[in-house]
Amino acid sequence: MSDLTNLVGPLEVGHEMRGEIRRIANNTRARRQFISRVMMVLSLVALSVAAVPLVLLIIVLLRNGIPTLNAAFFTQLPQTPTLVTPNIVGGVSNAIVGSLALNLYASILAIPLGILVGVYLAENETKFATSLRVVAQTMAGAPSILMGLFAFSFLVHDLNLGFTALAGSFALAVLMLPVIVISTEIAVRSVPHTLREAGLALGAKPHKISLKVVLPSALTGIVTGAILAVSRAVGETAPVLLVIGGGFLNEWRPLNPVSALPLTIYENAKSEWPAQRAQVWGVALVLVAFVFVLSLSARIWASRKQQVK
Amino acid sequence: MEQEIMADIQSQATAATSTSSGPAAMQLRNVAVSFNGRTAVRNCTFDVGKNRVTSLIGPSGSGKTTLLRALNRLHDLTPGAKVSGEILLEGVDVYRGDITATELRARVGMVFQRPNPFPTMSIYDNVISGLRFNGIKKKSLLDAAAESSLRSAALWESVENRLKVPASNLSGGEQQRLCIARALAMDPEVLLMDEPTSALDPIATLRIEELMTTLKSRVSVVIVTHNMQQAARISDDCAFLLMGEDRTGELIEFDTTEKIFNNPDDSRTLDYTLGRFG
Amino acid sequence: MARVPSELRRDDEVVAEFNSATTSRSWYRNLLIVAAVLFAVVSVGFVGTILWSSLPMWLHHAGTLLWGKGWNAPVGPFGGLAMITGTVETSLIALLIAIVIGLGTSIAIVFVIPRRLRNVVATLVELLAAVPSIVYGLWGLLVIAPWMQNTVNPWLNSWPFATTIFGNPGQEFGTSLLLASVVLGIMILPTFVAISREVLAVVPQDLVEASLSLGATRWQVIREVVIPTSKVGLLGATFLSLARATGETVAVALVAGGVANAQFHLLYPGTSIAAWIATQFGESQSTEIPALMALGVLLMLLNFGLSLLSRSLVNRQRRLLALV
Repeated sequence: MSDLTNLVGPLEVGHEMRGEIRRIANNTRARRQFISRVMMVLSLVALSVAAVPLVLLIIVLLRNGIPTLNAAFFTQLPQTPTLVTPNIVGGVSNAIVGSLALNLYASILAIPLGILVGVYLAENETKFATSLRVVAQTMAGAPSILMGLFAFSFLVHDLNLGFTALAGSFALAVLMLPVIVISTEIAVRSVPHTLREAGLALGAKPHKISLKVVLPSALTGIVTGAILAVSRAVGETAPVLLVIGGGFLNEWRPLNPVSALPLTIYENAKSEWPAQRAQVWGVALVLVAFVFVLSLSARIWASRKQQVK
Repeated sequence: MEQEIMADIQSQATAATSTSSGPAAMQLRNVAVSFNGRTAVRNCTFDVGKNRVTSLIGPSGSGKTTLLRALNRLHDLTPGAKVSGEILLEGVDVYRGDITATELRARVGMVFQRPNPFPTMSIYDNVISGLRFNGIKKKSLLDAAAESSLRSAALWESVENRLKVPASNLSGGEQQRLCIARALAMDPEVLLMDEPTSALDPIATLRIEELMTTLKSRVSVVIVTHNMQQAARISDDCAFLLMGEDRTGELIEFDTTEKIFNNPDDSRTLDYTLGRFG
Repeated sequence: MARVPSELRRDDEVVAEFNSATTSRSWYRNLLIVAAVLFAVVSVGFVGTILWSSLPMWLHHAGTLLWGKGWNAPVGPFGGLAMITGTVETSLIALLIAIVIGLGTSIAIVFVIPRRLRNVVATLVELLAAVPSIVYGLWGLLVIAPWMQNTVNPWLNSWPFATTIFGNPGQEFGTSLLLASVVLGIMILPTFVAISREVLAVVPQDLVEASLSLGATRWQVIREVVIPTSKVGLLGATFLSLARATGETVAVALVAGGVANAQFHLLYPGTSIAAWIATQFGESQSTEIPALMALGVLLMLLNFGLSLLSRSLVNRQRRLLALV
């Protein structure tokens, strides 16, 4: 106690500074609170500004898109307008079929492989696993046009397959892979370690535990990741633009050129025919609706499952 | 064994208590705090004595910390939180009177469970951060307040020559004293302490306890503590809170520390200070 | 190893057996390894193929690609200066837009709006991110570009010194580097918000309460404590957004104007590296492909560098806060 008294100094501490501190604090307080309020309002303004594009975009999509949607839009092949028939554009069934085929093949290529790699990363801490994780994270942010370049060089050029649905699916699969790898790893890692140990204590083999205990528990996260990967791939234009060739037929075979919804938008947006430009809004609406439904359902499903747990 | 410890605590309580009940720094009148309509603590009526240490004791869930945080309106941040009753600072109701939360908090400082110096600031900048927030720019005033409050927190000697190093370089106990100095720099009327030693080792705890008995010459202290011995050693007054049948904490008894530990009016107080529950 | 009844075994023995068994060669284990190796091969192939295809360009015309002004398809020379400057200009302006609006948005989400609205707003931000870039491009081309051409551009050109910045091309063009920058800014906004929101939200509540308890206003808490504490992570968010901006392709291809013209006037049409690859590839002949691949390599270096940098910054922020 005595040495502390020395440190503290005289015990009767006056409040010489209190007056001046309080005076300055009181004099500046109104201004500081005003600035604070202004900044908080400005942050709300920023939030509203950020929301403007989404609102405008949805309004424009609905207003311009809905009138173009009819049975022919979904079932007919496209037609090039002529001077005599400037308003006859047909439908986009070729793009719908093409997009479905492209994403189906891409999912087959990417989802099983991505899940396996994700599980591998979650269950290994080797140097190889660590560097693979960095690779996956970097690839997940890579510009999608590069996937197109890769597919072009490898499949179209080196293997000389020409412009095919397969090349497009390959590009999309490379795009989806890292997304699925990362989400699977996170999902598997979030399964409590005690679950595995309980299984081991019961004498189960590790791979049985992995398959029968860990993967089912991680399923929600894995499926959510896969859905989000697909929803990203569906809207991608750049990777397929370089390699699928396009076409005006309902083509789905892997080794033939196909069309795709985003490709139709890209090409017809600059069309000289107003009717074709108008129809593009319908394609965009279908695409956005599809992507929104996918990502919202993934989100809702994930959060509902979370609550059940 | 139990009696021995008890006798020890009681004698400490007797030694710590100064019996004169002088003016009040803060007055609580039937204070209750509720979250989304569910009352967490109620029936709190007592005075925080000027230049005295008042401890809030009671088992977990009795609402000690909730009550403490009502005193400087930290519940304002929590949606759905409501404080009723009156809390008076020099006669002004801090919730309904002519005072903003910002002004109140400049006059009622707080020290938290875990030492929480601002990680991006130096020791010096941490100490004067309150003054900076409050618009004080005058170097001489900042320096004087920094030295005075670091001295009061018994930290000046050890940091005098390294005021510009990051606060994270200090040990846990030193960081907590820095946080005390940071609160003291504003020269508050009341200092609220929420289990300030719970994250510290015994030696650091002892240093802070010693510090508190000297601090009261400068500021009125309200401290939440789980440690009976600590309450007995350092406080002049004690408020005992307990969670009732309906899971709502309430004030059971408020009196001088000596009375609470030696012959409380309520048998539950005695049971608790004897360590029979909690 | 003798069989011990499982309930008698100690925890560490169980873990040890788990580890030894997982490293043994079960079919499942082998499958995982094959998958991991395959992924590594694909990744190496990804980088390697593009590098390899661009090799002729780097060996013979590296200087032209980096500094050359004209792009004369199909024979060359292939100068990349216009694409490089276009990428830098549009990305930086987009970044500026995203930071100003995005930081405000994140602050509003974390500190201003009621807690139960946060999830709704977070979902909206995610939807904004989910909109395919081609749709942004379409919107920019068919809705914003005419509006820019008729309303915004004349107004901008009425400013003093406007020609220095904008170049005053009259009402000739709706598509321009400025339009590309704005559309890019909107597109990278969700990326910036998603990360910065997370970074701001993990600043310990302790520090917020400590500063409020000293009499700080909300804004002071944010400016003096929250932002300094999270600045490394915010920098990470900035670099990741920049990486996204440099890589955006089709939206820029639609709204930038698609002209390989190295200049800094924002109202003139231009292009970016990614957009140029997309617009040229369709008509390209074998002589031009190595040049486009070389542009791809530039894009890859830029993107990988930025995203690695950003990731290490965000990780540093996490470690920093783990210490608090």
